[in-house]
Amino acid sequence: MIGIIANPASGKDIRRLVAQGTVFDNMEKVNIIQRILVVLHNAGIKDIYMMPDSFRILESAVFALARNLRIDAEVSEIDMICENNQNDSAKAAELLLELGANCIITLGGDGTNRAVAKGCGDVPLIPLSTGTNNVFPKVIEGTVAGMAAVVAELDTERAFFRTRRCKRLCVYKNYELVDMALVDAAVTKDRFIGARALWDLDAITEIFVTMARADSIGMSAIAGYFHPVPENGPTGLYIEIGKRCGFSVRVPIAPGMVEEISVGEVRELLPGERIKIATPEGIIALDGEREVPFRKGDVMEIGLGHDGPFVVEVEQTLTSAARGGFFVKRF
Amino acid sequence: MKLTDNDLIGLYRDMVYIRQFETRVQELFAAGVLPGFIHLGIGQEACMAGTCFNLVDGDIIGATHREHGVLLCRGVDGKAIMAELYGKVTGTCKGKGGSMHACGLKQGALGNNAILGPAQTIVNGFAYAHKFRKNGKVAVTMFGDGASNRGEFHEGLNFASIWNLPSIYIINNNGYAISVPKSKQQKVEDLSARAAGYGIPGVQIDGNDIITVVETVGEAVKRAREGGGPSLIELKTYRWRGHFEGDPTPYRTAEELESWKKKDPIARFEKVLADQGIAKQKDFDGIAAEVKTKVDECQKFAEDSPWPPLSEIYTDIYYHEEGSVQQ
Repeated sequence: MIGIIANPASGKDIRRLVAQGTVFDNMEKVNIIQRILVVLHNAGIKDIYMMPDSFRILESAVFALARNLRIDAEVSEIDMICENNQNDSAKAAELLLELGANCIITLGGDGTNRAVAKGCGDVPLIPLSTGTNNVFPKVIEGTVAGMAAVVAELDTERAFFRTRRCKRLCVYKNYELVDMALVDAAVTKDRFIGARALWDLDAITEIFVTMARADSIGMSAIAGYFHPVPENGPTGLYIEIGKRCGFSVRVPIAPGMVEEISVGEVRELLPGERIKIATPEGIIALDGEREVPFRKGDVMEIGLGHDGPFVVEVEQTLTSAARGGFFVKRF
Repeated sequence: MKLTDNDLIGLYRDMVYIRQFETRVQELFAAGVLPGFIHLGIGQEACMAGTCFNLVDGDIIGATHREHGVLLCRGVDGKAIMAELYGKVTGTCKGKGGSMHACGLKQGALGNNAILGPAQTIVNGFAYAHKFRKNGKVAVTMFGDGASNRGEFHEGLNFASIWNLPSIYIINNNGYAISVPKSKQQKVEDLSARAAGYGIPGVQIDGNDIITVVETVGEAVKRAREGGGPSLIELKTYRWRGHFEGDPTPYRTAEELESWKKKDPIARFEKVLADQGIAKQKDFDGIAAEVKTKVDECQKFAEDSPWPPLSEIYTDIYYHEEGSVQQ
């Protein structure tokens, strides 16, 4: 069975005002879902479940396929009540895990995948980027993602299907695990969650990352521009921000925004290691969104784990399948 | 945005003032005391208070008949607003405009039009003047999802964008155009996406979270003041009452209403203030009592005020008229 989770809220936040982010309309998500469904229909796959949402992305996609291509796409809605927030993605992932999904295609940003990762267990993800400045999900054409999902569903012997387990950052409040991040955790002096996105660099004091790429933007890029950390490497990175005791680096911090960041202490974050946050009170932003508030007296720690979600290596999977004749039909 | 404790308490007080004022209007209308038509903004307090927080003297806002709260937050005397609703001579329009046209021109709060939509072009005139004078002021228009289907919305956005005006378009998307649900009035899913057609930023946010509204509108206002041009902000919210007072709301379910009451912007903000140690229940009770006294005074002022004299019936109908219609 193939699961699909499309976050109707991604791609519309305040970064369109404070940076040069563009609106990602839900009609484009409908189009992507259509392209995925065409591929799955073409492969004869009918065991498909998708998260319902208030924008009725699935209904619109199925209607358009029936009207424009005369394709009667058979897709079931996951039986759940939507709260119209990120809990929906986590809940949908849990239910897809229970239903025995072979993979979950996600449409959203780092935040969406973080929510999905909380519930998907060991079901591998095919994350498509429809958010703003994303590091975890990739810009992959929906049709190609659909082809990888076909391999996930039909390669029952797992001869070609390739996945990779991701790292994650675990957030502990007073020694209890309270949340997680897939790419970065930024400690800020902000008092409120508010518009969630991070754009006030003066408020950021410490950053933890699982990966640091120079070809990305955002918190991960801060480290990526002086100490790249590969996504499949064993370690992460801790960086102290704002103190003029180290050096500065010019970094693309958001779409169309380059800023000079002062960096203090830098150290590798080892698997299983927890680092105590030095900032006395504020909010921890996870994968770019302010999430976990903490007050004076709270003991806040962040650690690196190698128990994040599995992701499908789309290129490797398709290449391997192609070489193995998976797509070939002989006469 | 750095908000002080005083800012936060002020925002809370503004929302409570709107809620209590509107609730009193609801009761007075139900009792047959108030004439005319009444449209209430209960449930949308964060949209109004959070937007107005970012405005200063000289800024302009043109809202709708559902935004008595905008007038309150812009500093228009609640007594004069209530008197206007009563149709008394001490009202903001000398009792001739009622709820539909209450205004506060000195505070930059334009009166509503009989049909929703024209404010979306009118504010551009003010925005153009602001730009011409280089005074750093902005012009805001606030309207509903239904009004975003009108021609003025599109004409206004096009004009604002082509002239790079300090205009901010705020949609209070409460899900219904009178009685028509959003799904039956708009093919486009996200109203904020309409900004792309005019080459300006469009943002969709939770309109029931006052901090989010303050931050987002604040950034749009800052951008406009600095010459960055117009923005479109979609606030997702819900009106607890019908379109008008007396509307039996057959087009929505009790469950839907209850689900939105759980997202009450005031209760949510109380939790934030309490969690942050900024205010306690006794502080909330104190503000509620203080606001109640204020609303009582508004009502008493309106009740005690005289009706407009018959001799005023033709006054203010035409500009330069003085008491009679010219033949």
